[in-house]
Amino acid sequence: MDWLEQELAQALARKEPAAGFDARVRARLNRRPQWLAIAATVLVMLGVGEAWHVRQQEGQLAKEQVMTAMRIAGGKLNRVQTHLKGTGQ
Amino acid sequence: MRPARTLVLSAALGAGLAATLWAQQFKFNLDHLEGKATEHVDLSLNSSMLTFASKFLDGKDPDEAKAKKLIGGISGIYIKSFEFKDDGGYSQADLDKIRSQLKAPEWGRMVGIKSGAEGENIEVWVRMESGKVSGIAILASEPRELTVANLVGNIDLESLADLGGHFGLPKMKKK
Amino acid sequence: MIGLTAVRQALDFGELMREHRGMVFSVCWHFLHDRDLAEEIAQDVFLSLHKNLSGIETPAHAGFWLRKVAVQRAIDAARKRSRRPQVALEDVGEPSVGPAGGDPMLGGMLRRLIATLPETPRMAMILRYQEDLDPREIAETMGIPLGTVKSHIQRSLAMLREKLERRGVGER
Repeated sequence: MDWLEQELAQALARKEPAAGFDARVRARLNRRPQWLAIAATVLVMLGVGEAWHVRQQEGQLAKEQVMTAMRIAGGKLNRVQTHLKGTGQ
Repeated sequence: MRPARTLVLSAALGAGLAATLWAQQFKFNLDHLEGKATEHVDLSLNSSMLTFASKFLDGKDPDEAKAKKLIGGISGIYIKSFEFKDDGGYSQADLDKIRSQLKAPEWGRMVGIKSGAEGENIEVWVRMESGKVSGIAILASEPRELTVANLVGNIDLESLADLGGHFGLPKMKKK
Repeated sequence: MIGLTAVRQALDFGELMREHRGMVFSVCWHFLHDRDLAEEIAQDVFLSLHKNLSGIETPAHAGFWLRKVAVQRAIDAARKRSRRPQVALEDVGEPSVGPAGGDPMLGGMLRRLIATLPETPRMAMILRYQEDLDPREIAETMGIPLGTVKSHIQRSLAMLREKLERRGVGER
């Protein structure tokens, strides 16, 4: 080895990673795989999306119920009103 | 016997039947008519349900906007309505049981109409508390139709009647 | 039996990590010149080792396997990075833990010059002078012909000499 190669060997000598490297690797080992985390997130989002959709459906149903109630009750009152107007009361 | 077509729209927000009866200002006691009716509407909308429904009423639609405004003063809507194939589906006793409850001091009969041609009777009762309307009861009967309604809260009767007229269809189906 | 195997694997993995983390990290660091990326790739390499541990036959096999995977992962990372803006070499800090001795100024210059080499000769030089592999071992590790390895090393050394001479740096 000439001087350059010796300098290269020195310059490219191994370096240790920052302290705690082993712990960081073990921490990743204990974590869920990314695909699983993503899948879990997607499932949660679907759940939320489904819950929103269900809420929308329930809301529309509730609205229909209210309008039906208004029609029935209001209709009867309107007939009373019309009748009273017709009889001059 | 042809099974009755039943339109049952009951709100169930976990409040339970007891809470519904508590919010409803008088008992209907008309469940026994369900089996005889060809059409049946059962609406039970408590305060939570009305608040929830209100969020879905479109302010740009004139009827829904009026309904939304009316709901503001209402804390409960309870309606049972029956249509029968023949006369005699219900009895006067059914109505009398309700009327007896409306004889309580807080209730007063506001108006009653009779339409001889169609045999239609409509009674409107008002419940007053501290000088304010706290509920109305509507008893509407025809030979083959019976409707009982209890609207709880400070009801704008004129607006409700106006809305009903706007809908223009007090009957569920044509004879 | 399964429990005993699991315990043996855990011990082996920990030992392998302690023994080879310097090598794996250094290959990545010298090649990529990005400390965070080097650590990330190094972690990936050991996670991959853990996954494939049952296929590792001997400690020597583990060393060879780790070096090969580190080389592949580092080259892959460099190729992905070439599609993204890079930090200027002058702005890249060096790991605080370094070798004793040597000319730190020259060492830094050499590392920066190595980093300017194209990927294949760059990795060949790292395996030659960091790992002290001979050209045949380098060819086997990188999966390239022996002649290509020799050619890359010769030309890289010639380039380095020329650039150092131009900077007034030569044999002392």
